[in-house]
Amino acid sequence: MIKVIDVTKTYGKGESLFTALYKVSTEIPAGASVAIIGKSGSGKSTLMHIMSGLDRPSDGEVIVNGKSLVGLKPKQVDAFRSSEMSFIFQAFFIEANQTCYQNVLLPLEIAKVGRRDRRKHVLEALRAVDLEDKVDSLAGNLSGGQKQRLAIARAIVNNPKLLFADEPTGNLDSATGDIIIDLLFKLNRERKITLVIVTHDLELAQKTDIQIYLKDGEIEKTVAKKRQHRTSPNSSKKVVRMV
Amino acid sequence: MYISDQIRRAGRSLRSAKARTLLTALAIAVGAFALTLTLAASNGAQSFVNNIISENFDPAELIVVADKNVISGGGGAEPTEYSGNFGSSLSNGGAITQIKRLTDSDIEKIKNIYGVESVREDIAVNLQYITRPEQKKYVATMQSFSPFLKPELAAGDIPRPLTGKQVLLPEGYISSLGFSSAQAAIGQTITVAVKKPTTIPTTPQTLAQSAVQSADDSVLEEFTIVAVTKKASTSQPGTELYLYTSQDAARALNDITTEGTDNFRAYTSIYVKVEDGENEDKLNAVQTEIEKHGYFAQSVKETQEFLTQIIDVLQGIVVAFGLIAIVASIFGIVNTMYISVIQRTREIGLMKALGMRKRDIGRLFRFEAAWIGLLGGVIGAGIAIGLGTALNPWITKQLNLGDGNKLLIFDPIQIGALVLILVVVAIFAGWLPSRKAAKLDPIEALRTE
Repeated sequence: MIKVIDVTKTYGKGESLFTALYKVSTEIPAGASVAIIGKSGSGKSTLMHIMSGLDRPSDGEVIVNGKSLVGLKPKQVDAFRSSEMSFIFQAFFIEANQTCYQNVLLPLEIAKVGRRDRRKHVLEALRAVDLEDKVDSLAGNLSGGQKQRLAIARAIVNNPKLLFADEPTGNLDSATGDIIIDLLFKLNRERKITLVIVTHDLELAQKTDIQIYLKDGEIEKTVAKKRQHRTSPNSSKKVVRMV
Repeated sequence: MYISDQIRRAGRSLRSAKARTLLTALAIAVGAFALTLTLAASNGAQSFVNNIISENFDPAELIVVADKNVISGGGGAEPTEYSGNFGSSLSNGGAITQIKRLTDSDIEKIKNIYGVESVREDIAVNLQYITRPEQKKYVATMQSFSPFLKPELAAGDIPRPLTGKQVLLPEGYISSLGFSSAQAAIGQTITVAVKKPTTIPTTPQTLAQSAVQSADDSVLEEFTIVAVTKKASTSQPGTELYLYTSQDAARALNDITTEGTDNFRAYTSIYVKVEDGENEDKLNAVQTEIEKHGYFAQSVKETQEFLTQIIDVLQGIVVAFGLIAIVASIFGIVNTMYISVIQRTREIGLMKALGMRKRDIGRLFRFEAAWIGLLGGVIGAGIAIGLGTALNPWITKQLNLGDGNKLLIFDPIQIGALVLILVVVAIFAGWLPSRKAAKLDPIEALRTE
């Protein structure tokens, strides 16, 4: 579960001061699928960075799975990110001249997973995205959709509780994008991974349990689906919080 | 991240930029190549000098002369005062130089110095010829045998000490003197002829007379062959065909050839054996004492140092060039690593997003630099070893070092240490770029547009 309380983020000083987020508070229950929607410059990426500990708020509090990220040392935040969460990006960020295996291996190496279990984990993650047969292929030879599936395999190999997806379909055609979206929601359902999608694609946003609309650094509205989330029926009641 | 994983990842990212990696490594390879060859050549020269010294000189002995020019390599910057006991000696150019000699009274004085065990004169007699019945006559030089020498033998045994008219015959004379084998020569005798000094003729008539007379001036001696010596590559150059005999016999022959001349019982150099002379302090004490009496003494170690001085200077010059090449290659590594960091900004951002620690990212790039250093070191040293090993026999032959000696001696420990130092230098060069990578802001790095 992610709790964001009165988070403000400013850049610069004096006259050039820019407020990216202003007193943003929201709550994402464990296992939910959430979309953060807004135009470019609305602060949606900044919010994601702050939720994931990549960035620190200028003011306010972020609590992830019961831990306050603001008070942690950089080293502890790194360890926390390595074990609890993961990312996929619009531009995939896979290493083209490494094999699929080596790409998926990276989070396991960072988390110091024992050498014996690595292959098993990597193959399992590739199977989940249906790329098992490409294990030894160079990542650069994959198609766009396959590259994003590879990125998803890399994101889930460490069994994270939280998955941040930054415009996951932005570089894909709609048919391929749909496959990726289906895959993400399947992981959300079956593995109970909390899914946070940052997007400006309203159609995609409609498929999530909760939609947080951001405008000029503030939350415009939060919409929750009427259907209760299966895994966390209690927390979903508190979801709607208008600002 | 485990260090082993980092090392492998670093190696992999280098492989993805093969040309760049190789070119950067080649800069270090130039330095490594020069340094490897220099080290090998200096090892070879050092061992050549050491072999000559240790097989020809007793470390417990001092070489003592009356004339400083003999041991200091002709450093005659100051005029030498003339005194009675000068003799003449042929210098390399054929000019006759005057050299102050040591006489019996000098030797007696030196013998009485505390700590001196024994004294032997360095005697080399130019024989008129050596021969055997019904064989040709051959010119030869006979030298007093240093008890320290342990020449390799083709046959026989060296009695210790060598006494009377016993002789060690070089293998080269065996067939010339009509022996079927070295073994066959043992116990046989050879005839040694020495010539009495002729008085200098004053008129043309006496010149002609003296030529006739000269045959009668020869003194013939019979020597018994006790051993046949092999040609050793480490024998003092020029002494390969020397016959060795006992101190007494050599002195007797020398007396015959010099009687009535300035050179009679006058020696250019003598060897002074010091009691416990292996102990450097005792050797130095005796050396100081001898020099107080107005003589000049040099220990084997000093001779060695004199010979290796030149080697050291040449070595220093090449080492300096090698170091310059390595310093230049540091900038190459810094440059390459900066490019690598910039090219992989997104990868670094991703690794940070996935929770990789600053320290680990810095280390990843330092390992990359280390790989470049290792690659350069191995390439440079490898080419040097390959080329050196291939050309060694030819170079050795050209320089006439004699068999058993090599110009280049590659020491694996030395080369290993050199490569290790290069790796450390490379890591040092990768320090700034790796810090840049570690400090990179992941949000900036991951910005798509």
